[in-house]
Amino acid sequence: MQPEPATAPARPAASDEQTVAALRAGDERTFRDLFARSYPMMKRVARTYVASDAVAEEVVQETWMAVVAGIERFEGRSALGTWMFSILTNQAKTHSAREKRAVPFSSVAPGDAEEPSVDPDRFQTDDEAWPGHWATPPRPWQKPERRLLSLEARERLKAALAQLPERQRLIVALRDIEGRSAEEVCQLLGLSQENQRVLLHRGRSRLRAVLEEYLDAADT
Amino acid sequence: MDNSRPPHNGHQDREFSVTADEVTCQQFVEMVTDYFEGALEPHTLSQVEEHLVMCDWCVTYVEQMQATIASLRELSEPTAPEPTDSVLAALRAKRGGT
Repeated sequence: MQPEPATAPARPAASDEQTVAALRAGDERTFRDLFARSYPMMKRVARTYVASDAVAEEVVQETWMAVVAGIERFEGRSALGTWMFSILTNQAKTHSAREKRAVPFSSVAPGDAEEPSVDPDRFQTDDEAWPGHWATPPRPWQKPERRLLSLEARERLKAALAQLPERQRLIVALRDIEGRSAEEVCQLLGLSQENQRVLLHRGRSRLRAVLEEYLDAADT
Repeated sequence: MDNSRPPHNGHQDREFSVTADEVTCQQFVEMVTDYFEGALEPHTLSQVEEHLVMCDWCVTYVEQMQATIASLRELSEPTAPEPTDSVLAALRAKRGGT
């Protein structure tokens, strides 16, 4: 079977060159479009450095102030998004230093330690007939597209997401919620493709387990 | 092969033998994201594909991961607040070559 693409491709946008030229000319439409498209991701990233949503929002607005002020100096050596992201992380770090809050992203996160995707007890052991194969297999979810859209399921998922280790949460949010590409996320966060996949996989696996628990409980 | 083993019910009715080269379900669940991302080496990919042909349970697992990803996509909040007045003022000041 062919896997479905995990995320929708990003909406086609103007080239960096066009966007930069428009921002330099004070084009409000281009600015507002870019602001609206980038805002959720920027806020998510900022939120990993600072202690509250309110401060994260402040960091995003300050970042935009710096982007608008500094766009004349943007030389196009990196992608516009990468340049904006470096401004964002600098602003966020300044805030987090002010808050005397450790910067979680750059620190070693113990929550990222190796952890199986599925409880090992659900697989047959070496002295059983099919070692490593399912002992307690997953049960197909009935009408998942409808049930997972329920308010309760969404709340479960949000709560589980909030409990993921910081890096897993950020990467799941960028890849699966915001629909950013692997390349973009690696570039923005300075991660190797492999590390990005490992963190994404751990995050997704934990969330699947939470949804499984929720749907199985509802079925019994 | 040990013929005394009970049937592995997740595997469809066909000759199914465990070899050292085979991917187990427990190994497969660790590879799902690499599989989705097209990051498996060709040899591993063919092992995974063979496994999925025979193991309905792992197909269910794949579907659950896909459903999880799809439901995450629904959490996206596309609304952004207004840019602050000071940002807009800085932008407007650029008009007319200033």
